[in-house]
Amino acid sequence: MVLIVTIVVMILSALPSWFGEKASLHITNRSSQHVDATQVVQYLDTHNIEAQSAYQKDHRLVVILEDAQQQAEAKSVLNDALSDGTTVALAMESAAPKWLTNMGFSPIQLGLDLRGGVQFLLEVDMAPVYHAQAQSVIDEVTGEVRFARGKVENDNVDLVFRTEEDYQTAYSIIRERFPQWQVHASDKRLTLNQSEDERRTLRNLTVQQNLQIMRSRIEELGITEASIQRQGESRIRIELPGVQDPAAAKDVIGATASLAFYSVYDTPSRRSQTIKDSQGNPIVVDKKAVLGGDHIIDARSGIGEMGSAEVNITLDSAGGRKMSQFSRHNIGKPMATVYSEYSRDQKGNSEQTSEVISVANIQSQLGSRFRITGVGTMQEAHELALLLRAGSLTAPVTIIEERTIGPSLGAENVTNGFAALALGLGLTLTFIALWYRRLGWVANFALIINMTTLFGLIALLPGAVLTLPGIAGLVLTVGMAVDTNVLIFERIRDKMKEGRTFASSIDLGFNSAFSSIFDANFTTMIVAIALYAIGNGPIQGFALTLGLGLLTSMFTGIFASRAIINLVWGRDQRRDVRI
Amino acid sequence: MKITDTVMTKLRMVMCSLSMVLFMSSVALVAMKGFNWGLDFTGGVVAEVQLSDQVTKEQLKQKLDLAYGQDVQVIGMGESDRWTLRYNHISEQAAPSLADTLATVSDQVQVLNSSVVGPQVGQDMVDQGGLAILVCFILIMLYLSVRFEWRLALGALAALVYDVTLILGLFAATQLEFNLTVLAAVLAILGYSLNDSIIIADRVREMLRGNPNGQTDNLINRSIQATFSRTMVTSGTTLMTVSALWLLGGSALQGFAIALCVGIVSGTWSSISVGITLPKLLGLKPCHYQVKPVDTSEESYP
Repeated sequence: MVLIVTIVVMILSALPSWFGEKASLHITNRSSQHVDATQVVQYLDTHNIEAQSAYQKDHRLVVILEDAQQQAEAKSVLNDALSDGTTVALAMESAAPKWLTNMGFSPIQLGLDLRGGVQFLLEVDMAPVYHAQAQSVIDEVTGEVRFARGKVENDNVDLVFRTEEDYQTAYSIIRERFPQWQVHASDKRLTLNQSEDERRTLRNLTVQQNLQIMRSRIEELGITEASIQRQGESRIRIELPGVQDPAAAKDVIGATASLAFYSVYDTPSRRSQTIKDSQGNPIVVDKKAVLGGDHIIDARSGIGEMGSAEVNITLDSAGGRKMSQFSRHNIGKPMATVYSEYSRDQKGNSEQTSEVISVANIQSQLGSRFRITGVGTMQEAHELALLLRAGSLTAPVTIIEERTIGPSLGAENVTNGFAALALGLGLTLTFIALWYRRLGWVANFALIINMTTLFGLIALLPGAVLTLPGIAGLVLTVGMAVDTNVLIFERIRDKMKEGRTFASSIDLGFNSAFSSIFDANFTTMIVAIALYAIGNGPIQGFALTLGLGLLTSMFTGIFASRAIINLVWGRDQRRDVRI
Repeated sequence: MKITDTVMTKLRMVMCSLSMVLFMSSVALVAMKGFNWGLDFTGGVVAEVQLSDQVTKEQLKQKLDLAYGQDVQVIGMGESDRWTLRYNHISEQAAPSLADTLATVSDQVQVLNSSVVGPQVGQDMVDQGGLAILVCFILIMLYLSVRFEWRLALGALAALVYDVTLILGLFAATQLEFNLTVLAAVLAILGYSLNDSIIIADRVREMLRGNPNGQTDNLINRSIQATFSRTMVTSGTTLMTVSALWLLGGSALQGFAIALCVGIVSGTWSSISVGITLPKLLGLKPCHYQVKPVDTSEESYP
């Protein structure tokens, strides 16, 4: 009974994958304005794009299209046509009949190598974060103690004081405000370093923050089914299915943009630094920024009074306070807006490039909302706003791996993979049917149930993705799954030779084969688990289907085939049956 | 099957010596030629492109070498209009776009896929892959030592090492690309080869227990005979499906399928030659399986 229920559920779960998925677009409007379905379809029609259907589903309009090609075209067409508050996102919809999807079954998730798309591996560089942490200690101490010199060495802080009194003050400041630092004191000198634990916490926080930022940036790009995952200590894997042009995504993902505001000096001094503007003119600004980009909560591009592009910025309350305090004392003086971007050089070190994008005189006291002008063309203003809105990263992120799989190649991989699966399955079924005859049909039936269960399981498990190596794992499973039945049948043959009845041979055969079956599957399971835990990408996809395949083949090979055999030959008392 | 015990024992010994020769030459090949490491391990750029029919390899290579200032590897893909290009990564700013460069040679350019892997990723992959193999070996050894007497365990392990070395030798000899999926295949073979060895070893143990006074050689021969049809059927079906993968799976899975095919054949071979002959040479006797009260909790065959 349990057996039947399990099999039925698995068949139902495997069914939607049979129907596949259709390319679609999700159109959402932020200001809950209604987007009219018929209008969209008509509009697409005028651009020679045929929408198969369009319907409303939880506040968004879903448009089903012919294929990925049309999907991309439709997206660009609609993006131009619809108003600013509307986002158009690429998505896939299950093509299975309604009653199936209503039961909560969905098709198998295909990996990037099967559906096409772009994949990035990002590395979060922690060095600047550690350095910034150390620098903030020095800034804090030198701000309070007059005669102190501090420097950062290998991410450790080294502070030297002139008087014993200063030394004591500094010591208590550090104890109080930076308890997470370990302090080594010696004769008017303090050396601080962070424990490994503290660093790990810091690293986790930074990577989490980056993950969050990547998610919101990718949302801005309009890809609903992107997967953004942490990989290892400080890496982030991003998969963007359906995206065909990596350049656009790369610009948004790869850039670690931050914006900061600096007061401008006439002459260079000890407290200043020089940053060039886009024409290459040096501009002398304060070493410390008035305000960093982390206070920015919103940024939008717009057109100013003079018809030039500008970016409107909204700050959080703390940022607003800082800005208004600074601008009150500096009305009429210039303020520089500096845009910094991190990139990685050939040796793999990340370097920061800063550029002054505008120097403007402060006209009046600024609050939490203000605008920067002189940001270039409308397009540039738009991109800058996008980067700022998505947040400013504290740690630079660089792309260390990039893979693009064209949609045609993805489809080809699916065809190849399943053709191989079909051929392998066909050959195996024929061979077993010929070799074992009657019992062979049982084994074949068990094999087919096995495949269905396996597909159902992959569709059912959240996070399980079918990749090309995954299909290879399936093919391998077909070959190996038969082993369970073969072992049992060989044992049954042996028992028959010993002169037992068919029924008792079956019983003994199943029992005596069990230990061998368990052993054989167990060792492969060790490999599958080790592969899944250690490997990534293609290896994991393979390990997943291999491991699940072992489970389902043990289940069907032992239980399902036994149920059938018992049902048919359970009371067979003949001794001369040929198997 | 009317093969006498002496003939069969001799046959096993011959197979075993042949295995030794193959093993040694594989080691030599790996040492001498090394591997053609795939992109996953070395880092760099690989792109698969579809161009117009009339583009020749020389034209393509000349153009690309010039554009990227290095020796670009251009490989034809069987179909006349498809090419795989491989070159070292150069920094983003300096590198001209691949599609633009190709557009100067061919009027029809389609980049089917492209991968850029940084050098640090490659190093990590090598470390991870090595770790995966090591962990698998250790776990399998642990399991074997619990499961079997040390002579049989060592035999299975020797068969395992033999299979892996043979695949590696083949990849070194043919200079086929050794990438991540091939590594996965090698690891799958670890599990598969063990499968065969264990099932035969299981029978040997059963035979030794049942015949305390038998000749080890003859008992081993009988075990092999008893499991032979199972070994052939399972290896046969697995080999069939994997060959289907080789035939139809496309270029992406070719290395994987080849590694598996060789691994399955060698796994079957080694389990009846190395895996079971070695324990005999190490002095396996029925008495090792007699008075062992610990084993009674395991299975007892009627």
